[in-house]
Amino acid sequence: MLLNKPRLVQKLKDFHTYLKNNDGKIGTKQRGIDMNLNNACNLRCEHCFTESPKGTRVKDFLPPEKIAEIADQADELGIFEWDLQGGELLLRPDILFSTLKAIKTERFYMYVTTNGWHMDENTAKKLADHGVNRVSVSIDSMDEKVHDEFRGKKGSWKRAMKALDLVQKAGMHPYLNITVGHYNAKSEDIKLMMKYSKDKNYKTLLNVATPAGMWQNLTDIMVDEEDKKYLIEMRKEHKNIMRNLWDPFDKNYESIIGCNTVNRVYITPIGDVLSCPYVHIKIGNVYENSLKEISEHGFSFKRFRENSQACLAGEDVGFVKNFMSKKGTSIFNPVKAEEIFPEDHYDKFSFDN
Amino acid sequence: MTNLEKYKSAFVSSLSIDAKLLDKNLEYNTIDEWDSIGHMSLVSEIENQFTITMETDDIIDLSSFEKGIEILKKYKIDIK
Repeated sequence: MLLNKPRLVQKLKDFHTYLKNNDGKIGTKQRGIDMNLNNACNLRCEHCFTESPKGTRVKDFLPPEKIAEIADQADELGIFEWDLQGGELLLRPDILFSTLKAIKTERFYMYVTTNGWHMDENTAKKLADHGVNRVSVSIDSMDEKVHDEFRGKKGSWKRAMKALDLVQKAGMHPYLNITVGHYNAKSEDIKLMMKYSKDKNYKTLLNVATPAGMWQNLTDIMVDEEDKKYLIEMRKEHKNIMRNLWDPFDKNYESIIGCNTVNRVYITPIGDVLSCPYVHIKIGNVYENSLKEISEHGFSFKRFRENSQACLAGEDVGFVKNFMSKKGTSIFNPVKAEEIFPEDHYDKFSFDN
Repeated sequence: MTNLEKYKSAFVSSLSIDAKLLDKNLEYNTIDEWDSIGHMSLVSEIENQFTITMETDDIIDLSSFEKGIEILKKYKIDIK
């Protein structure tokens, strides 16, 4: 499916070559954008990291002209994947589809993350027609009741599961997203979700639970070394499980490219750029600087530039305690990188050197 | 190694598949291992084996085991 996007193929190949020449580590290669296009949501999830349930900044979104500018800059940087997320973007299809047009999706591996509530056959087809390659739907449990309670709305499990089917029928890649923490990593429920995804020929994306947003400071939820080993075992067994930290090209299903902070930036509806969706440390704003300048600024901080085999937000307790525990921090109230890191953590970085 | 052996070896190592699967009918996306991600690893391994750099159009056209043999002729690599 991706092969009908020549520019994407070129960038994906460049990424693969970069990893090969860099000892399998992600280094300072720009990879993706996670964009919170609009923060309004119809569900009230317990673990939401964007404060959607509180109704924070639900009317803001970046206009198509700005999106087009960011997309051109991203393409120049070699960014090949773009995740549009919220909030719940199918609440505002007008914004979603005008954004997809502005991005010129033929250049990117394009995906949309949704809770599935508003997905129907027409919407799935329209997404595919707009160049969306993948739709990710979060599932919290194979037990309908557990999922619905977690999501704060009855019927959300059934709709989410149906959405995955509709996505597959429309010819896009269905991704079943699972949030995994120490509290559930080895549970029977996680096994069942992984099996379900495999049996349906979906992909599974694991997001490790991070002490951010509604879960700020709850470091007990973070996966430990045993959990991490177990997840790698599951990766080898199922062969369809992904994490951004893992090497997607590795057919032995064991290599880790490293934490993706700054390699996959997170852009909020007001244009702030954070180092990732879960590390609420601001490295710039798209209204003030280009994506290249912002990325260079981000990589100037050693903790973001140096390879970490652990996800900083979900696996590195020291990082969380030192840099992610400031009270009141959120995606709309991030700490500035230059204020949270000590001075000797800064070493000016440029892509041109 | 002959060119055919090198070519087969590229498929086996990059996609982690059994050599028994290799025949002219093997096509992109017909086995789990040869998806778009596997495709990039395959291209990279073919490039390594034959010390070439494939053009984007050729990477896209590489839709089957047999088609790859045809494409490699462009790079003066004859596989028999």
